[in-house]
Amino acid sequence: MSVDIQLAPVIHFEPGQSDFASAGGGSLAAAALRAGSLIAFVAILVVFSLTAPYFLSVGNFGNVLGQSAISGVLAIGLTIVLIAGGSNVVTGGIDLSLAANMGLSAAVYATVAQFGYGDATAVAAALLTGGLIGLVNAIAVVGAGIVPLLATLAVMNIVAGLELVLTQNTVIPASTPLLTALSSSGPLGIPALAYVLLVFTLIAAAIVQYTPAGLRLYAVGEFPDAARAAGLPVRRLVAGVFIASGLCGGFAGILSVSNLSGSTTGSGEMLLPVVVTALLGSVFSRRLVPTVVGTLLSTLFVGFLVNGFQLLNISSVLVSGVQGLLILLVVSATTLLRRPEA
Amino acid sequence: MSAASPAADRSGDAIHLENIVKRFDGAQALSGASLRVRRGTVHGLVGQNGAGKSTLIKLLAGLHQPDEGRIEIDGQTYDKLTPHRVEELGIHFIHQDRLLVPTFTVGEALFLGREPRIAGTPFLDRRLMQRRAGEILNDYFGVRLPNSALISELSTAEKQIIQITRALLDQPKILVFDEPTAALVRREADILFRLIRRLGDEGVTIIYISHYLNEIEELCDHVTVLRNGEDVATLPLSETSAAAIARLMVARDIAEMFPKRSVTPGKDILTVDQLSSRGKYHDISLTLRRGEVLGLTGLLGSGAKDLIRTLFGLEPATSGQIEIDGKPARSVNPAQAVDQRLALVPEDRRGNGVALDLSVTENITLSSLKRFTRLGFLDFKSERHEADNLIRRLEVKTSGRNALVRTLSGGNQQKVAIAKWLSRHSEVYLLDEPTVGVDIGSKVEIYNLIGDLAARGAGIIVLSSDLAELIGITDRILVLFRGNIVHEFVSSQTSPDEVLAASTGSSETLRHVG
Repeated sequence: MSVDIQLAPVIHFEPGQSDFASAGGGSLAAAALRAGSLIAFVAILVVFSLTAPYFLSVGNFGNVLGQSAISGVLAIGLTIVLIAGGSNVVTGGIDLSLAANMGLSAAVYATVAQFGYGDATAVAAALLTGGLIGLVNAIAVVGAGIVPLLATLAVMNIVAGLELVLTQNTVIPASTPLLTALSSSGPLGIPALAYVLLVFTLIAAAIVQYTPAGLRLYAVGEFPDAARAAGLPVRRLVAGVFIASGLCGGFAGILSVSNLSGSTTGSGEMLLPVVVTALLGSVFSRRLVPTVVGTLLSTLFVGFLVNGFQLLNISSVLVSGVQGLLILLVVSATTLLRRPEA
Repeated sequence: MSAASPAADRSGDAIHLENIVKRFDGAQALSGASLRVRRGTVHGLVGQNGAGKSTLIKLLAGLHQPDEGRIEIDGQTYDKLTPHRVEELGIHFIHQDRLLVPTFTVGEALFLGREPRIAGTPFLDRRLMQRRAGEILNDYFGVRLPNSALISELSTAEKQIIQITRALLDQPKILVFDEPTAALVRREADILFRLIRRLGDEGVTIIYISHYLNEIEELCDHVTVLRNGEDVATLPLSETSAAAIARLMVARDIAEMFPKRSVTPGKDILTVDQLSSRGKYHDISLTLRRGEVLGLTGLLGSGAKDLIRTLFGLEPATSGQIEIDGKPARSVNPAQAVDQRLALVPEDRRGNGVALDLSVTENITLSSLKRFTRLGFLDFKSERHEADNLIRRLEVKTSGRNALVRTLSGGNQQKVAIAKWLSRHSEVYLLDEPTVGVDIGSKVEIYNLIGDLAARGAGIIVLSSDLAELIGITDRILVLFRGNIVHEFVSSQTSPDEVLAASTGSSETLRHVG
């Protein structure tokens, strides 16, 4: 019945081989990019150590860590959204309401504290605020199906407006035992906020990089169809990351109250640096995906740049230029490297 | 594997779909189709595009619900299948598109959704995932992959293997393969076939859907042929052949609907010489004459569609020549192609063929606005004049030239798509599945229109998978199979099953060639 099988034409396109070649080249370039970023990071540390007085000291490193705590927490929150939303900046995951969220949560914390409630109540109120903002984002994105970029932009405006209403655009001073503790120095004379950032990163990394839930977030972000085919609750996971990022905003709010001894306006200015930091983080991972530790590294990278420039008396205005340049480089490099897969 | 347990009883039916009827928006996708698959056998499912295969499979997957009919799995009757229920029943689907996350390691991809944890902790056991992945792949396929390999670094065949392995981890009772070899080379397909036979031996019931009839011949115990939403036959492979299956797949009673016309072809208008695009098609040479309608057909992945795209400047070719009226004309973009009087009517009409939210007039003049511009401004009067002319000539049924194209029926939208190129005075028409999703009446009108174009001296290439249509309206037919022209038919001297056999790479026709 099937004597004629050998007559069937067998044409060898060998798509496998060409796939291998291109993918292999891509991963080589990815490795180069990753190594390049790490080398750049180390080079900057070395250059500043040689040129800037006091740069290379435990105290200074601690300072950088402490000063990076707030943006670090926000950037890690955003990283989680980037992971589960996919790293396409326009249609993928993003949470633009994070900075405004921090501002409102800080204002809530300061207000509650001013009314004489204790730290526990104030912390709960701030986290609840952040979580609720995250929930609104989740409903807008998952429930109403609005692109995260637009949904969180709208929520950002609402939240910023609420903050103005609550604070009447003034500074609300606050002083509680927790705030005092947070703004003090810990072991080795390093700011307590530095330890907060490290512990926060550790917990976030443990959840995101080392649990099944974390793995699933990556699947949802990278290839939702694959996640669905694997039976994962895609919508619930996406909603979850917006709530998680909202909680990060609330937590950052508490840290900012301690840093500034009250809630101040102008939190919105944090937004773009945080977005840049989170996007930059993916160059520190082998697979060119956002990771918690990668985001910590990129936060510190930016932190050290600012710090070194300050110590060298170079205008910190340049930092934002350097950041902009970096983001252009990184985004174009990752886009080019990932194209063969798309 | 422990899926071997049902092997004991091969007498009963694993699946029995009976008289399934399914309508979509009034269109009948299935009109009383039955599928009966015996336990532990490899069952082929074949049919032309639109015969209802994918609808039937989606019903089995619980993605659609039947309007009428009965579903019986393992002797149990179900009113309703849901994707969840289907999974519980041990039915798994291997889809054409490989649903794997590109940045995952092999282990992560295999275990996504059922990740092992380090005992007593909430953390992933990555080491166990990698080790088990290595063992399983080696055991089933004899494949060794580096532990750290990412999905994006694997070949298409390797990705397919991972996908199948994912299903095997669930110890399926029924496995459905949907065109699994579309992206595989022969050697890789052989590995797959060996595995399918082994699974069959172990008692797993397999449904195998393929356009490649030689694969069906080689692999299956039984085959069910679908045509026009009905099952026309279920046969044991020992009593049939690829050629017989091909005949069953093609309906013959609609040949009358093709209006015959006779145009004497004129001078060569389009010549393609040894055109190649790596991995897509090879050494394609063809000549199209004025007044000629040339048919082009081939399965998904045959390269026919890519060839059309290259002619219109949408995809680059790696080598070869294209000439129009004797002048070199390899376009690098559609704008150039249009200037060379090429016209493309794409398959995705609503996405690319017409602008749905523009009026009929605007659509018609869209590609030829230069002709309707006076001193930099649009000359609405001559635009209206052109639109009225073409609406009349093509008998476009519309409430008026200002109606939005969205409001027109599929067939009339297609006429507008063609009118656009008439207005541009195009001379080489590339029509990609011109009658897909168009009702019978409009089909005939489009066939007439194609004949009319040819009579006016245009050269036309029609790419279609509706073989009766192709034979009805073309002069010659070129069949592509895996990137090569494997056969040329004179339309008046062939039959749909002959063309189908050639395009599925099945034996009989290839003997003519060989």
